[in-house]
Amino acid sequence: MLVVDRIARSFGNVRAVRDVSFVVERGSIFGLLGPNGAGKTTTMRTILGIYAPDSGSVTWEGAPIDLELRRRFGYLPEERGLYGKMKVKEQIVYFARMHGLGAKLASTRADEWMERLAVTQYATRACGELSKGNQQKVQLACAVLHEPELLVLDEPFSGLDPVNAETMLACLRDLCASGTTLILSSHQMFQIEDACNAFCVVAAGEVRARGTLADLRATFPTRTLRVSPDLPEIRAVFAAAGAREPVVNGSGELAYEMDAATDFGALLRSAVAAGPLQTFERREPTLGAIYLRAIGETNGLVAR
Amino acid sequence: MRDLGIVFVAELVRKLRSRLFWLATAGGMFAIAVLIEAPLFFSAIAQSSSSDIVLAGPPSLVARAKTLMERHKDYRVVATVAALPPHVTNAYLAAHGKAGAAIAIAERNGKLRLDVYPRDLSAFDGAQFRDLVPLNIELATGIAAHRIDGAISIDRAIHPIDEKFADTRTAALAHGVAFGMIFILYLAIIIASQSVMSAVAEEKTSRIAEILVATISPTNLLAGKVFAAAAIAIVQVGSWFATAAVLVPFAAASPIFASAATGSEKTGAAALGIDPLLILYFIAFFVLGYLQYATTYAAAASLISRTEDLGTVTTPVILPVVGAFFVAQYALVEPDAPIVVACSFIPFLSPFVMFTRVAISVVPWWQPVLALLIDAATVAVCFWAAGRIYRVGMLLYGRLPSPKQIFAALRA
Repeated sequence: MLVVDRIARSFGNVRAVRDVSFVVERGSIFGLLGPNGAGKTTTMRTILGIYAPDSGSVTWEGAPIDLELRRRFGYLPEERGLYGKMKVKEQIVYFARMHGLGAKLASTRADEWMERLAVTQYATRACGELSKGNQQKVQLACAVLHEPELLVLDEPFSGLDPVNAETMLACLRDLCASGTTLILSSHQMFQIEDACNAFCVVAAGEVRARGTLADLRATFPTRTLRVSPDLPEIRAVFAAAGAREPVVNGSGELAYEMDAATDFGALLRSAVAAGPLQTFERREPTLGAIYLRAIGETNGLVAR
Repeated sequence: MRDLGIVFVAELVRKLRSRLFWLATAGGMFAIAVLIEAPLFFSAIAQSSSSDIVLAGPPSLVARAKTLMERHKDYRVVATVAALPPHVTNAYLAAHGKAGAAIAIAERNGKLRLDVYPRDLSAFDGAQFRDLVPLNIELATGIAAHRIDGAISIDRAIHPIDEKFADTRTAALAHGVAFGMIFILYLAIIIASQSVMSAVAEEKTSRIAEILVATISPTNLLAGKVFAAAAIAIVQVGSWFATAAVLVPFAAASPIFASAATGSEKTGAAALGIDPLLILYFIAFFVLGYLQYATTYAAAASLISRTEDLGTVTTPVILPVVGAFFVAQYALVEPDAPIVVACSFIPFLSPFVMFTRVAISVVPWWQPVLALLIDAATVAVCFWAAGRIYRVGMLLYGRLPSPKQIFAALRA
């Protein structure tokens, strides 16, 4: 279990992280979300022991992070960190050896991972000659070859096309299934919504929301209700229930933002009684909506 | 140590695969071969030598002049003729022993009169005819030239008091060798240190540093790089010396170098008159000098975020090495001047200046030992300071840090 306890880190006069705490259960996938400059990367680097926190602590299975522990972690930084002129396989083996693997084992595992990530044909090519997506795959292989206990991924889907993003996601799920704990940050909400077991939203160096998706939804104050057809009688039912003006989407459906505590059963019965109701769908807030609401307090955005 | 070894081997392989390394090594070997062999080549194909003379004039005067001109081997009279043609041409000189000049010699108003027709004007001036002064006096006074020559020649013997060099010729050769070695020392330190700087800048700008620093200790990472570049530099300098060692005996055997070399039967460094102890000093001062500069360069490179900024941090760190090279040049002339002695103990300058002093003068044994100890201590301080700056600098992006921030990193 990783415990991040009230960490703070400043750079000169800039307080990158003020007070961040969360717990990541072993064998889970944890999503660290936040806008650019929120403090995600600083938090990740502090977890990895690259930065020492000004205050607070990070522990893995109860022990503070030291060099020996860091060797058992893996890290995929946001920007490509590869030697452009080094060959793909050599590069993967080099990073694996840095994490303590013997040369032979590193070579065997490099072959396995290159095959898994479909980059075997580039084994003897210089990394700088590869496409951005393939470089990202090589970077992932470098980060996981030593079978890390904790894998930290900063924007792992950045620059990947949908097919490669799916391949990457499948690999991450497999790693999780084999016991690796993952922390990842991403702006691709739809991709990580299903993959992550828990989330933490940070903004301006502070935690704005955290918990499982169910926890976050439970505290979300509204629900979206999609209704059709667009008839005056049906609109009247919602107006009577205190709903604000709906948004009409392209297919003519009405989208109402209703208070989460609304008695949706009673509302459904009233709508059915009012006219020929075709659609009545209550939608749980998406991770994107939860995220926007969490950071919106800082940025002055209206949460939807 | 395992981490250091992995970084060392990886860096070594990367550098050995670099075309630039092979280009620099082969280029250096070629340049050394050219420097050694070029004089032989050009002397073989040269059309003439300015010391080869055609003498023209009355036979008795020409005979006496020839004796005087050739007695110190300053000139070689390749042909004697009664008179020169009205227009002396290059073709005439070429036809007369490929001479560099034709000189018409005559007596006029009780004095010697010379009309010189040189192929190369810059090679002749008044001072070059001092050999003929006794003949001039003979014509003016009637005293035989050989008596005058005997009277103006002073018997002398030069006794070196420092016993470092047997004679002035060996001393002059040692100066030449010392200059060459200082130049190689300078080149090797600059090339190797900049190679470390480029490697660090690459890792910083490509963000590889972020992964590496999360995995191994920055000090091991820095040390692995620095030692790998040192090994490469030793191979490179070794290949240059080996080239010289192979070619010098051949060059030394030729008449051109016969007067300069200590003996053609010697080989390698001995043919150059290099004391083996000097080679040891060279290696010691190279290693310590390189480690001082390489660690400083690596720390400087860790502060930049873009390769374009490399020039900004290079300037302040390149000044000491250039300054040290210039002080070493002065040391070649005045090895025991107070300022030179002082500089031979100052870190960063010491490897160049002390090496120059031990190469060309007699230095009390404790001085190079003290200089080596100071340099070794400086290397330790450089590693400590560079390790701290490197640890902070490698993860610092954006503007170059201020001196205050760098100082804070050292205190952290």
